[in-house]
Amino acid sequence: MNRDECRILSKRFGTRDGHKLSVYESQGGYGALRKAVSDLDPPSVTELVKDSGLRGRGGAGFPAGVKWGFVPKDTDAVYFMVNADESEPGTFKDRFLLDYDPHAVIEGAIISSFAVNACLCVIYIRGEFGWLIDRTRRAVDEAYAAGYLGRDILGSGYAIEMIVHKGAGAYICGEETGLINSVTGRKGQPLIKPPFPAVSGFLGKPTIVNNVETVAAVPYIINEGPEAYRRFGTEKSAGTKLFSVSGPVRNPGVHEITMGLPFRDFFNDWLGGMAEGEELKAVIMGGSSVPVLTAAEAMNTRLDYESLQEAGTMLGSGGMIIIPARCDMVELIQVLMHFYWDESCGQCTPCREGTGWLHRIVRRLRRGEGTLEDIDLLDRVCNGMAGLTICPLADAAVMPMQSFLQRFRPEFEALVHESKQPGPDSRWAREIRS
Amino acid sequence: MVKLTIDGQELEFPAGTSLFDACREARGEALPHFCYHPDLPVAGVCRLCQVEIEGMPKLTIACNTTVREDMVVNTRSERVRTAARQILEMHLINHPVDCPICDQAGECGLQNQYMAYGFHESQVAKTDKVHKDKAQVIGPRVILDKERCVLCSRCVRFCDHVTGTGELGIFNRGDRAEIGIAPGRELNNNYSLNTVDVCPVGALTSRDFRFKKRVWMLRSTPSVCPGCATGCNIRVDHEADRIYRLKPRRNDEVNGPWMCDLGRLDYRQVHAESRLTRPLVAIDGEQLELAWADLDARLAEFATGGLALASPGQTLEELSLFARLGRELCGEGHVLGGLAECGRGEGDDLLLAADRTPNRRSLAWLELPAIAAADLAARVAGTTGGILVYGGDPVADAPGFAEAAAGRGLVYLGTHRNATAQAAQVVVPLRTWAEKDGIFVNARGRLQLIRRAVAGPEQTREDWRFLADWLGRLTAAEQPTGLPDLRRTTAAQVPALADVDLNALGATGVAPVPVGTGGEA
Repeated sequence: MNRDECRILSKRFGTRDGHKLSVYESQGGYGALRKAVSDLDPPSVTELVKDSGLRGRGGAGFPAGVKWGFVPKDTDAVYFMVNADESEPGTFKDRFLLDYDPHAVIEGAIISSFAVNACLCVIYIRGEFGWLIDRTRRAVDEAYAAGYLGRDILGSGYAIEMIVHKGAGAYICGEETGLINSVTGRKGQPLIKPPFPAVSGFLGKPTIVNNVETVAAVPYIINEGPEAYRRFGTEKSAGTKLFSVSGPVRNPGVHEITMGLPFRDFFNDWLGGMAEGEELKAVIMGGSSVPVLTAAEAMNTRLDYESLQEAGTMLGSGGMIIIPARCDMVELIQVLMHFYWDESCGQCTPCREGTGWLHRIVRRLRRGEGTLEDIDLLDRVCNGMAGLTICPLADAAVMPMQSFLQRFRPEFEALVHESKQPGPDSRWAREIRS
Repeated sequence: MVKLTIDGQELEFPAGTSLFDACREARGEALPHFCYHPDLPVAGVCRLCQVEIEGMPKLTIACNTTVREDMVVNTRSERVRTAARQILEMHLINHPVDCPICDQAGECGLQNQYMAYGFHESQVAKTDKVHKDKAQVIGPRVILDKERCVLCSRCVRFCDHVTGTGELGIFNRGDRAEIGIAPGRELNNNYSLNTVDVCPVGALTSRDFRFKKRVWMLRSTPSVCPGCATGCNIRVDHEADRIYRLKPRRNDEVNGPWMCDLGRLDYRQVHAESRLTRPLVAIDGEQLELAWADLDARLAEFATGGLALASPGQTLEELSLFARLGRELCGEGHVLGGLAECGRGEGDDLLLAADRTPNRRSLAWLELPAIAAADLAARVAGTTGGILVYGGDPVADAPGFAEAAAGRGLVYLGTHRNATAQAAQVVVPLRTWAEKDGIFVNARGRLQLIRRAVAGPEQTREDWRFLADWLGRLTAAEQPTGLPDLRRTTAAQVPALADVDLNALGATGVAPVPVGTGGEA
């Protein structure tokens, strides 16, 4: 399958005025919505999405249709939320979708809302994405004007309102219950489960939260059918996936691939290999929260949920970070530990105290003030955090930390052995220290 | 009922029971915890009560789980113990460990749990500790130490869900998160000291109790708050005949686990400067101290045919004796049950009753009618003979009473130097609620025991003994030999108590007949 054939989500990336309704409609846009509300009913939409094997693209990979099926039937209100709080370090695919193709996201969101019979759809956009919020709001206005939103859309009798909600810039609001709390007007902190949001979420009503990329794939599935979607990907990881690639490769950026593609091919053909004079050292496959792989491990794996899990990491959000040989892994983990310490919501103890502790131990090591015991302590602190908290933020901090220790321990030890003097500070480390 | 297995024991619980409570029963002790509180919504943030449930890959917190049929739970496995130890360590890494100057020491969740299963050596470098504000005054009665706080959010949930006042919140995030008070507000609701009770560590402390006493020196006596007609069950904490604090004692029929601040600080009256500590007699307009031995002669001069006035602050037993004494001295129909309007305030819908007296219901049961303050003077003028006042302060509260009673040989039986005590011909110093045993009947007709916690000033006498002695000098009838005896004769006097054994009320009291919530009698 050639590279352009699997451009389902990124079809309009780079198209002039692709974000405008006229362009979207001229390419068949909103046809899927028309089909869904006139020819199909909510259960059959859900069934199609289930059959397509579409899995949540936010990181956890939970089958979208199955999630929709959790909504209780006898309820007076259901809410649907599109998670555009994209803040996982290394991930920048959702912003491309909203930037180049907001109507695809909106159409997918309306169809998804229809499938769960939602009366309100909220697109929750990360606060820092100022221009995207304007662009999405304009697109929503266009959709309202064209009768795709509001009462009795396309004469179907189905009514749906859509709101674009601006987040205040917290990583944790990308967690679905944190997002719901934030929309409610509370502090962005995850809620304890049970109850799960599909049963009791926003305002105590069933609420489905899906990632931007997930809902963007829905129009294609409705238009072309689940079999067409299943042509892409593997048995268990169906469809295409956007990877946002950063690091010194020849072609960084957002690439759409069919899942199951060997990393080696992706690296050589899509990314064009390392930039001049760079050498591959390690790869973070799915956003900063997944375990890091060494170059050798990466080269032997494929890009789908199962293969990456087998390799000891996760597909996550598809935020791929290519790490060159010249990169100091301890400095990199210091940046990450600072991030998780800063972003922990502070609700549960292991994460609140643990992220700060990790951050301070790594900082000490970087300053040349650490000991070999500190390196063991890092691992021990991680054990006291993993799997013990309300939400996965603690795990998100622990997985990179422990995988860095496991694969690049000599770099940590070198800081203790070779020099008591800190190395020259990078810009990042200077900012963190202040 | 739901049947499940906890630590190998097969047990049954009603559907909906929290797994935390089920584990407490199975283990005979609670799981380690900070944030769980049976009377507050579940927060699930301290993460300490992790248990292993068969079929679930991860450990689960018990507080947010309800019991399910055939659940197999393990609370003592190595995995559970390790998790609890690790999480406790997380609680402690940024704690200042300033136990030597902390009021909570001795009853602290961190200390107790560290001693139970922590015992780890601290691995935290001193430079790694996070410091926060200490000793911040957040209200007239409560002080906050942010550094000691484990952010269990109990106090926040208390103010949000029990009082509904919402003064407290958690501000900032990560390990910069701290309890704080909304700008421009203070924690001054009438239940603010309950936040000190629910605080499992020394983060919230009582400004009244602060630095007064190490808690392990205190002894506790169960009793009942005399502050209003609700009759909250309390624990009197005292040492060397001095009360240091009152704490609420759980009684789900009355106060749950809470009590109000007004009642809680009421104990200060017991040790007030204005306590009556010796018998007094007025000679030529000046009150002089008198020996108890000489008092009987003075009381013998009490002229019959006058008026006796009780008050709703006395116990059931005392009032029944006083009713008999009053009838001997003043005659049938001349014993009144206090002033109707006195001891009233504003109530709320939580615990505080508008009737600020602990035992008005007993007056009704003993058929001692209240009198309007405005009518008292006329009633006095309509009699001849002595005036006997037991508690209360009619000179201050009833207009014209002082003038009407002047020259009538006013005898005051009481605890504090008030206007009536100062106007009296003879003053008899008796005991406060904390210095004697007895029964209070709350507004809903519940009989509850007050217990003697401290001795009381040396020259004061226990009320019922004084009353029985006086009565004994007036009549040939046999007087009670002790409180149990007195309770038997009292119960015989009151129809409502026909089937109640007043000597077996138990720790949480007895309600013989359902009575409406009105405290008025």
